[in-house]
Amino acid sequence: MAKIKFTLNHKKLEVEVDPSRRLLDFIREDMHLSGTKEGCGEGSCGACVVLMDGYSVNSCLIPMANVEGHEIITIDEFKNTKEFEVLYAAFSEEGGSQCGFCTPGMIIASQSLLSHNPHPSEEEIRAGLAGNLCRCTGYQAIIQAVKLASEIGGNLWDKK
Amino acid sequence: MGQKIIARTLSEAIEALAKYDCNIVAGGSDIMLQKRNTAGELPRFEKDVLFIANIEELHKEYVDEEGLHIGATMTLEEILRHELTPNVLKDCLKELASVNIRHFATLPGNIANASPAGDTIVVDILLDAKLKLTSIRGVRYVSAEDFVQGVRKIDLAKDELIEEIIFPKYDFDKLIWFKVGSRKAESISKLAFAAAYKLDGEKIASIRLAFGSVFMKAIRSHELEKELEGMSLKELGSRVEEFTEKYGKVISPIDDQRSTKSYRLEVTKNIVRDFLTTLAKGGN
Repeated sequence: MAKIKFTLNHKKLEVEVDPSRRLLDFIREDMHLSGTKEGCGEGSCGACVVLMDGYSVNSCLIPMANVEGHEIITIDEFKNTKEFEVLYAAFSEEGGSQCGFCTPGMIIASQSLLSHNPHPSEEEIRAGLAGNLCRCTGYQAIIQAVKLASEIGGNLWDKK
Repeated sequence: MGQKIIARTLSEAIEALAKYDCNIVAGGSDIMLQKRNTAGELPRFEKDVLFIANIEELHKEYVDEEGLHIGATMTLEEILRHELTPNVLKDCLKELASVNIRHFATLPGNIANASPAGDTIVVDILLDAKLKLTSIRGVRYVSAEDFVQGVRKIDLAKDELIEEIIFPKYDFDKLIWFKVGSRKAESISKLAFAAAYKLDGEKIASIRLAFGSVFMKAIRSHELEKELEGMSLKELGSRVEEFTEKYGKVISPIDDQRSTKSYRLEVTKNIVRDFLTTLAKGGN
């Protein structure tokens, strides 16, 4: 066990935890934040991605030791933001979510992309979401949704 | 056994390595998968574990007279976005894993994992990269080519840590990265190819060809490169087929879940033939 200090959803935490415990298990089982999903458990599907200092990472492969000093945002907190509202509206409009299992990861990956590249080309959207699998939509609707979000978001994602 | 150490400084890390028999975890993208357990359970590490991602002093990329240094805790995406990173390495990283994974995976991780399909190792050996290995006994340098000895076999003592990767300065007219995979992202290579050359008028001044996923480790043939160096482009044009066959004998691909021996051999030869044919016409 070790003491790990980090920020989870804007809350400063100091937790006593095994350093090898997966961030995903900590989020879901210890913090009961079940918006973050486990799909493949091996970094391929992206259902588990969370923001680490604003960048999308696969929480199924991140040991708790590595979150020390970092800021983690999960979908359960991100849903309270303006950026989420815009993404939610765009995904609804374009039919970018069907069964919904991949959607938390898709939204987080979209946020990671748009916050570093507010007006991406279609190719950049495809590359930005390449680590997130969806078995329902066939992707086109999701790509369109991110494009729409970047449009209706105006300068929401432009660097402040 | 059972120790789990989070190092915050390089000296903490090498002291832990001197004391315990550790699995070293940088980003974790490979080893956390290899040690994967049931959901909710701790990963199955059989050794002590040393976590190095928090070592801030290794989180840097810089150039000095020796060349380009990339510290052990730089993530692949940080390297990809860094202005000092060579384009050939960027081309390789763009196609490696996915952006999510590149946000925490590291270069030494890809090397130390020593998979025959480790893409960045192909670029490392192409550029004569060397590794700085540090322990409480001191510092040792080893070329990336010698460091990887075979499948999952590396030249790293129990108490050593890869502190950084050093890419010496080079002078080429052109550098090439080419990967064959099943899909654009997260695809483990069926085969990978990297090359570099410099022309001196109508002659080859220097040339390197490196291959991945077609041998037990990333491979170059220094002998064939020597044969090609100094050759006129005209002569090369008449000997493309000969060198294509020779390179076909350098590699030794296998059948696995991603591809077959015969596909890998044929496609590698096609790539070499195409590369040499283009070069014989003056390149580009």
